[in-house]
Amino acid sequence: MISPAHTTDPEIVVAPRDASKVSLFRRVLRNPLAVASMGFLAIAVITALFAHFLAPHDPNTAVIQNVLAPPNSENLLGADGAGRDVLSRLIFGAQFSLAGALVALLTSMIIGVSGGLLAGYFGKWIDTAWTWVISLMMALPTIIVLLAARAVVGPSLWLSMLIFGVMLSPAFFRLVYASVTAVRNELYVDAARVSGLGDGRIIAVHILSVVRAPIVIQSAIVGGIALAVQSGLEFLGLGDINVPTWGSMLSDGFTNLYTSPMLILWPALAIGLTLISLTLLANSLRDELERSNAPRKQRRKAKAPAATEAEAPSEIIRHEESGAPDGEVVLEVTNLSVGYPSPDGGLKKVVHDVSLTVRRGEVHGLVGESGSGKTQTAWSILRLLPEGGKIVGGSIHFQGRDLAKVSERDMQKIRGRSIAYIPQEPMSNLDPSFTIGSQLVEPMQIQLGISAKEAKERALSLLARVGIPHPERTFAAYPHEVSGGMAQRVLIAGAISCNPDLLIADEPTTALDVTVQAEVLDLLRDLQKEFRMAVVLVTHNFGVVADLCDRVSVMRLGRIVETGPTEPIFESPRHPYTQELLGAILSEAEPRGPLVTAGNSASPSPKGAVR
Amino acid sequence: MIAFIVRRLLTGLVLLAAITTFGFTLLYLGGGDIARKILGESADAQTVAQKSHELGLDRPVLAQYGDWVAHAFSGDFGSSWFTGQTVSAAIFSRLSVTLSLVIGTVLVVAVVSVVLGVLAATKRGWIDKVAQLLAILGHAIPGFLFAVGLVLFFALTLGWFDPTGYVPFTEDPTGWVKTVTLPVIALALGGIANVTQQIRGAVIDALRNDYVRTLRSHGIPERRVILKHVLRNAAGPALAVLAVIFVGLLGGAVIVEQVFAIPGLGQVAVQATTQGDIPLVMGLLVATGVIVIVFNLLVDLAQGWLNPKVRLS
Amino acid sequence: MRFQKAAVAAVIAAGLALAGCGGGGGGNTGGAAKTAPSLVLGNIIPPQTFEARNLNWGNQSIYFQAVYDSLLKPSPNGKDVEANLATQWEYNADKTILTMKLREDVTFTDGTPFTAEVAAQNLLRFRDGTSPQRSKVVDMVNAAAKDKNTLEITLKQANPAFLIYLAQAAGMQESPAAFSKSDVQTNPVGSGPYTLNTGSTVVGTSYKFDKNPKYWNADAVKYDSLTINVYNDATSLLNALRGKQLDASAINDVSIIPQVKAAGFTDNGSSLNFAGLMLFDRAGQSNPALGKVEVRQAINYAVDRDAFLKAVGLGFGEVTGQVFREDSPAYDKSLNDKYKFDPAKAKDLLAKAGYPKGFELTIPTAPGFPKQMWPLLQQQLSDVGIKVSYVDVGQNIIPDLQSKKYGVSYFTLQRDANEWQLISNLLAPTATWNTFKYQDPKVDALIGKIRTAEGADRDAALKELNQYVVDQAWFAPWYTPTNFFVTNAKTKVELNQGNAWPNLWNITPKA
Repeated sequence: MISPAHTTDPEIVVAPRDASKVSLFRRVLRNPLAVASMGFLAIAVITALFAHFLAPHDPNTAVIQNVLAPPNSENLLGADGAGRDVLSRLIFGAQFSLAGALVALLTSMIIGVSGGLLAGYFGKWIDTAWTWVISLMMALPTIIVLLAARAVVGPSLWLSMLIFGVMLSPAFFRLVYASVTAVRNELYVDAARVSGLGDGRIIAVHILSVVRAPIVIQSAIVGGIALAVQSGLEFLGLGDINVPTWGSMLSDGFTNLYTSPMLILWPALAIGLTLISLTLLANSLRDELERSNAPRKQRRKAKAPAATEAEAPSEIIRHEESGAPDGEVVLEVTNLSVGYPSPDGGLKKVVHDVSLTVRRGEVHGLVGESGSGKTQTAWSILRLLPEGGKIVGGSIHFQGRDLAKVSERDMQKIRGRSIAYIPQEPMSNLDPSFTIGSQLVEPMQIQLGISAKEAKERALSLLARVGIPHPERTFAAYPHEVSGGMAQRVLIAGAISCNPDLLIADEPTTALDVTVQAEVLDLLRDLQKEFRMAVVLVTHNFGVVADLCDRVSVMRLGRIVETGPTEPIFESPRHPYTQELLGAILSEAEPRGPLVTAGNSASPSPKGAVR
Repeated sequence: MIAFIVRRLLTGLVLLAAITTFGFTLLYLGGGDIARKILGESADAQTVAQKSHELGLDRPVLAQYGDWVAHAFSGDFGSSWFTGQTVSAAIFSRLSVTLSLVIGTVLVVAVVSVVLGVLAATKRGWIDKVAQLLAILGHAIPGFLFAVGLVLFFALTLGWFDPTGYVPFTEDPTGWVKTVTLPVIALALGGIANVTQQIRGAVIDALRNDYVRTLRSHGIPERRVILKHVLRNAAGPALAVLAVIFVGLLGGAVIVEQVFAIPGLGQVAVQATTQGDIPLVMGLLVATGVIVIVFNLLVDLAQGWLNPKVRLS
Repeated sequence: MRFQKAAVAAVIAAGLALAGCGGGGGGNTGGAAKTAPSLVLGNIIPPQTFEARNLNWGNQSIYFQAVYDSLLKPSPNGKDVEANLATQWEYNADKTILTMKLREDVTFTDGTPFTAEVAAQNLLRFRDGTSPQRSKVVDMVNAAAKDKNTLEITLKQANPAFLIYLAQAAGMQESPAAFSKSDVQTNPVGSGPYTLNTGSTVVGTSYKFDKNPKYWNADAVKYDSLTINVYNDATSLLNALRGKQLDASAINDVSIIPQVKAAGFTDNGSSLNFAGLMLFDRAGQSNPALGKVEVRQAINYAVDRDAFLKAVGLGFGEVTGQVFREDSPAYDKSLNDKYKFDPAKAKDLLAKAGYPKGFELTIPTAPGFPKQMWPLLQQQLSDVGIKVSYVDVGQNIIPDLQSKKYGVSYFTLQRDANEWQLISNLLAPTATWNTFKYQDPKVDALIGKIRTAEGADRDAALKELNQYVVDQAWFAPWYTPTNFFVTNAKTKVELNQGNAWPNLWNITPKA
């Protein structure tokens, strides 16, 4: 979306393709500020449309006896420096000021939108030409162009707003251009093209619909700018004396600032309120748009918690230990509950009464479908729940402390040092702006208090340890310069860099290629053994569980339904859900074996899919 | 890298050619009887004709433009018709004034917006409300109204600052602060409103990134996560807005310089354009064009520095 | 609002400066050897150039009086001149040869001595330059040095205002070494009381001058340094005054006067100008209606001058009906009531002239003029049937008027103290402000008489001319706006009746 030639305006919001625009405006109507803004704008527009009926006097009739008259029954708001009725001028001012702003808005919209569509959709020389014209406009000092144009065409409100509209067109151009280039090569546009739709129809149906809502928002902003600049021009004395506008009233008010200070109030209020209304409207439209965008984003990126209310808690099925568990308990989660605030002000629980125990040197798998609460559980152990998420019950005992209760400050010392985390998507979990080396060195320096030099040596040996062929080169590289598998190894190196006691691995192989998955799993197993770490492994993949885990807890709708050592659960799953899950992978296992039993392809152990 | 800069500068040169041609045409169309305007109403027709000839105004427009281009390439932009000062001297003596206003404003906008935007994005609550309110006010109050209000209150009522004029920093630092503060505030309001919103949004976006959780999982203090990592990644979009604002400020300076009677480029631009002082306006077009082109180049280089992906492509 | 005003006002004001005439000599005022540290003045326009041969006058005079000496000095009364570089002068019998004795002890700041030869060069260069004031000296055939300190000027014909011109732009003396210098426009070399400090001057905005330590007339220098700041609009000027940033300033926009006074400034007023409609097209070339004297009289009757003084002039000034000054022999108080506000009479006159339904009239507007006037004027003229449409000509107002584009315009013009100057500026067939170059045999005859007549004959001819111009309604004067020059508590001023700006040496520290 960001191409170097067009630095994307951050204000740009690309609309979700599936969001219903009709409902966007309906939703905006629920926002009281937006309603008030629209109400005011409606009043202004109606005033403008019916100025002829509403105004008590002609706005340009000057009565010499009324010069600077205070408010009276004849002139409700008094008269201005030329004895003209202030109220009538205010009413007609709405007509001319808004119409002027509209001229600028429409001009810039027509030029900017059509240019953006053409340049963004067709690319090539049209793109080059438009981009060039737009950068020319942006390099020209607007005010000088307006002044010079005024010298040529005279003081016409309409013409100067037309010219200003042209100068403003980059605002729309960049918006539309960015959106169009973003969707141009999307599959559904390709599909439309393949199905024989003409360019015109593709633009009209598929592309315009994407940019429609942002254009509305941008219009409110541009309209405001046009109104503000129009009054600024009048302030500079460039107004047209035959046309009553709020700007010219403001200018008249300035002239009489000391003798009749009220004269400046009305036009300033009219301009200010209109601008505020436009800004508020644009803001609430944008907020609404973002809100309708947000769930998609969250589902993709942050895995928004799924609804888990309905089901009544059933008994947890516990499998017997084959022998007395050995090793000290590292983590003991008891009756953990996690909740998020719901829009109605209540609390939506996504994890219910989860309990689990992890011992040193033990790998505990948390298995379940997406939305089952396994990741939420993992994050709450790290106390890194997404915004709004809260531990609402239970305890997390770790090294003698209840992590649900320790201060954020203490938690910072525990994270990285004692509990480490391996995320799911390697690429998005490295900061793209810093080198891999600096991202490895930083936590070590903070957590271990070692020198930069020492940290670097350690980072290099870690990189070598996790199987990166050229540690020096990778150390100096930026995240986008390495492959996904390499990145995941880097993240693993980062996780173990401070010798943690507990490792939380959240689907550590899901995002990787099949062959790489196996290597990474091998690596994880080796490291776990080497450092005798306790591991909580979040996964939906029973193959991974079979390969790595000593114990496993199956989660469904925020609850643990079955838990115990891996072997008995695989051999005799008792909960219907566990059976279902296992059944699903076993039936899949035939044609797509390696995918499911990922670990096995790389370590051809005779143990097979089920240990 | 060097190829990139050279290519950008060459495009800039073409852009400048387009700007000057456009400007020259426009000015000639609107020029009227310039010699008469220079001499005022008491001069007789013969003097006016003589002046016209002296300035070369009686030659074909194309020849005049050709002359201008030829001289401009040798660095000679001529002299103002209305003050006799050479155009380069007129622009350079005022450039530092406008740039100190605009750069000062950009700095203020950047600092205030970063602080407010980051606080609004991370703390939410009341500080977010304040930032939102500021944004709305910034959009709703036209800059010139705000400037007039500032003068009335801080300069005339309280007497803290000078209502008009400009004192160079090198001459008297206190005087500089007294003359530059109010105009910078007046210019900054709109920018702060705008950029704070952008930074707030960019920080919120950056906070949603997965790597933020990973950084936190390493036990990196929250402050460091935000100031070092989140801000660095939010800086790209913020810088893009700042670049837009900078160009806008060059225009906004026109009005503010009028209100505060500051001898900057904006003031001279209004006068030169309305008078039809063609050599000076042409010089101004070139100067602002160069500033905008160079500034955009610097912004792009900074973008590259901020974003390693752009850097390599 | 006010911003643009200054630019046009500047152009207008630049041309308003002409000055009176008369003989006589005299020394310098003052005598305090001690100087005050600094004087900071506010002005509405910068000097267009410092090059002596192209100098303008009016509001720019103050800059040139700082760096240059003129041959003569203008008296504050606007009519007389005093000795300066020239100590004695006399005309021959037919007033076509002027001989002047010049000072011998004067050198320019670059060390070049001032001589009659230098003075002759400066005069001729001025005559052949492109100064807007150049038309004043077109009568000069030659200027030559008779000896080292005797200058002889030959005129085509007698010019009763010539001496006053030598006290203004035309008489300014620049070092001949500077004639060919490339920075002559911005770096003046004169022999005046101050030198321009080019280092701290911002051209167009702020001009800084330092005392000339070797000035021949040290008594006349009252300040160690002089700063003149230019304000493009009345609001920033007002702010500068209220912020105590200025010692004194000329005020162009009287609406700020109450605030300036409230800030502790003294409002020294004089009435140099008259404001109103200039009915230039007395032959009806641009609009046949204007050719009828009844129509021009109707325009006079249609406007309520008292109301305009109050609404447009904000009450600062006096209502008038004529273009001559109150202290002039031409002045006749009864003429002020000749066209007393009377819309009915105006309608009658229009009907009599053949326009019972009125007519259409185009009037140019410019940003420098008082904005609130336009709707009022339109209203009052339409009340008697004259339908006014406005054309905004922006900065082109003067060129457009001079090229006869508009037969009628609002303007503020100078009422020169020297009647000859006023006639050659407003009434003569060649006068700048007789834009249509309208000629009337009666006026020509009276002007011919005034050129040579003296005493009571001259006074009678002036009175007759004034009466005739009012009867013929060449103008529709409304009022004489007050020109203000404001000074703070430590500064005093003697105003100049011949110019918008006082003479530099008349601005002095209060004892």
